[in-house]
Amino acid sequence: MVHAAIILAGVVAVVFAGLMATQRSLYACSVCLLAVLLQTAAIFYFLGAPLVAFLQVMIYAGAVMVLVVVTIMAAPAENPQALRKPSMPWFLAVLGILAPLGEAAWALSRGGLPQAAGWGASAAQMQVGTVLFGPYAVATEAVGFLIFLSALAVVDLNRSQL
Amino acid sequence: MNQAVWAVCFALFAVGLSLLILRRELLVMLLGLELMVNAANIGVVYGASLTGDAAGLSAALLIIAVAAAEAVIGLSLILRVYQSGRSPESDVLRELRG
Repeated sequence: MVHAAIILAGVVAVVFAGLMATQRSLYACSVCLLAVLLQTAAIFYFLGAPLVAFLQVMIYAGAVMVLVVVTIMAAPAENPQALRKPSMPWFLAVLGILAPLGEAAWALSRGGLPQAAGWGASAAQMQVGTVLFGPYAVATEAVGFLIFLSALAVVDLNRSQL
Repeated sequence: MNQAVWAVCFALFAVGLSLLILRRELLVMLLGLELMVNAANIGVVYGASLTGDAAGLSAALLIIAVAAAEAVIGLSLILRVYQSGRSPESDVLRELRG
């Protein structure tokens, strides 16, 4: 069952990734990417790494997609006539909504992580904190510094607007 | 199962690469780049799940953080292009000012 869930999430992710390539609207493209990111988080969860799945949803599907939407809002206005037509067939839009809901309902009905799959990720993620601030401490600090530098770069790039 | 996960990885990576190469809009190219990073991350997490390696999961978390920082910088640059009134297409932005 877990294998089927992973394959389903993978197929839905590939379908929406293919839709991304065919969309002319920036907004539709970003919505398709959001569907891919949610299915990727589902794959992480079913592989027994709920921490990575949670951070994928929070950082990628949350923060990064909000920034993308804000950038699209600043983009030149699209043709209003073109926006009246739906950008994808209705059944694919329904699939994009039902797939993560169905996966979440299935995961909740199972009552927890797919332990029976025999993968070791669920035990390994207990040691993630120890690894991040042990052998990988320099890399962790470097990434934190990189995020700080990216925030400074954003402020500097938009300094004339402030 | 192994082939299915790797097939998903390569398919997502290929679609992201095609978006990066074939589309001219800067924002769509950036979304393709994010797709490629996600595809690589699936491979990293799958490898970590097979071996039970905490270092693999840690690397996946660091990849997510680095990709978020890169997206922030890229989106800020694209926003500046929009605000300057220039065309947000890669074949138009060929010369540096100065």
